[in-house]
Amino acid sequence: MSTLTMLYDPSCGLCRRVQGWLAEQPKLVEIKMIPIKTEAARQRYPKLNHELTADDLTVVSDEGAVYFGPKAWLMVLWALCRYRDWAYRLATPRLLPTTRRVVSMISEHRYQISRAAGLAR
Amino acid sequence: MTIGIATYLLYLAISIALTVWVARTLHKSGRIFLVDVFHGNEPLADSVNHLLVVGFYLVNLGYVSLALKLGYEIASPKESIEALSVKVGTVLLVLGGMHFFNLFIFSRMRHRATMRNAPPPVYPDAFTPVQEV
Repeated sequence: MSTLTMLYDPSCGLCRRVQGWLAEQPKLVEIKMIPIKTEAARQRYPKLNHELTADDLTVVSDEGAVYFGPKAWLMVLWALCRYRDWAYRLATPRLLPTTRRVVSMISEHRYQISRAAGLAR
Repeated sequence: MTIGIATYLLYLAISIALTVWVARTLHKSGRIFLVDVFHGNEPLADSVNHLLVVGFYLVNLGYVSLALKLGYEIASPKESIEALSVKVGTVLLVLGGMHFFNLFIFSRMRHRATMRNAPPPVYPDAFTPVQEV
């Protein structure tokens, strides 16, 4: 695997902030970012359910493996030099349920969080 | 030769011999580790190994040299042995500390190298065809 494509929500301030942070991180696997539900996303993944990508973060590898929600977050961490350790730690059976809960909660309330943190447009 | 000079010479001989022994152990056993870290790139592993051992020698011999001075006169063989045991004891502790520090470096390098090629932490949820544009 040499590239991960991240389908992110450009209308969410938190996502834009995270995207900016990601761009600066040293990476073990290249991360390409495409805004969700755009022509570029539909062209690249014609068979993907693009309505679902609005619900939670979606990451697709260059081989076409789709990671959705908490798994997508873990894959993004895994791609970063400094956080690969953390990806494995958070993916262990003991921590995975907590990881899922926290990540789903953040994704679900991303607009509220963005507003509260003053990141909304 | 006074007993004081003899003590110093004995101290140097023991300390240098110990340093050489530990450095050689490190050099011999560390190599396998480094070859693994650098994915079988033996020239690179040998080079890094050599550099580490040189650093090891410099730090240890530097310490041995700095710690030579006793600061008091030695009158009897008993005092000589006591002084030697204190000096050699501290040299051994410094050597031990340096040795573990080197092991720590080795294991961290190895950990990083294995991380670099580690598989994804989770299985994909689905597969989708990719249309390269």
